[in-house]
Amino acid sequence: MNNELKVALVTGGGTGIGAACCRELAKAGYAVGIHYNSSSGPAEAVQAELENSFTIQADLSTREGADEICTALKERGNLEVLVNNAGMTMDAPLFSAKIDDFDKVVNTNMRGTWYLTKRLGRLMMRNKTGRVINISSVVGSTGNPTQSVYGMTKAAIDNFTRTAAMEFAPYNILVNSVAPGFIETKMTDVLSEDVQQHILGQIPLNRMGTPEEVASFVRFLATEGTYCTGTVFHVNGGMYGG
Amino acid sequence: MERSEILNKVKEILEPYVKNEEAFGNINEDTSILDDLQVNSARLVDIILAFEDEFDIEVDDEAADQVGTIGDAIELIHGQIN
Repeated sequence: MNNELKVALVTGGGTGIGAACCRELAKAGYAVGIHYNSSSGPAEAVQAELENSFTIQADLSTREGADEICTALKERGNLEVLVNNAGMTMDAPLFSAKIDDFDKVVNTNMRGTWYLTKRLGRLMMRNKTGRVINISSVVGSTGNPTQSVYGMTKAAIDNFTRTAAMEFAPYNILVNSVAPGFIETKMTDVLSEDVQQHILGQIPLNRMGTPEEVASFVRFLATEGTYCTGTVFHVNGGMYGG
Repeated sequence: MERSEILNKVKEILEPYVKNEEAFGNINEDTSILDDLQVNSARLVDIILAFEDEFDIEVDDEAADQVGTIGDAIELIHGQIN
């Protein structure tokens, strides 16, 4: 293990907000672990840009996947920052939503985040320092039609943030959520023009955010924000203030 | 390493967390860490981390969950270092 390297892990780091977080944390001097499940091409492209970065493939919806990440990280250096960004959504009206889809979304967004934080938190406890930043969503606070499951998981992540912050505080590990609003990513690109206009009508700044605007806040929590823990920070152009 | 030697080191690690001094004075392999010594369960993680550092072992979550008594702790450590 290289004890000199400060390591940051970003789950779902190959695309969108995750990729932007990787770039920001690399700028801040971290050796960034870029986790991906199926997006190997984009993850490798991000890795090629960033000095000292590395990729890790794992299915976070399974226990084995999270265990593989732990094993890989132990050889890399001191884990200082964990960004729990990996997530998925399978949108459908409640009436027609499928229970199998519920399981997939919950396993990745909630179970994966909980288990990975439990495992990697122990590495941080040993070092008596660390930052855990959970990427949730404004939908976890406001709800959104067709996103009953996604919204549930994001609300759960915000609650997990509060409890983990209390348990980890004695070890100087700070835990926060960053809850983006509507951000220009693949998730929002697929929305129809009508839906996009409807969304813009809810945002006082009258535009969607960029992944970089979320990532810069993540960087602040990773490198500064020394008196912030157990908090959900909203980054949404004014559509919801908490 | 003999079990008695492990016991002495385990006692040193546990001492700062013990709330029942009398039970600590009568410690044996059947002593329960939580019920008899009244160690706060939130501190168990510190104890496991100290075991790992002291004995240069790695204790996974399942193994840690099995540690209820002093004898369990000695067995876990003894099994890994021998």
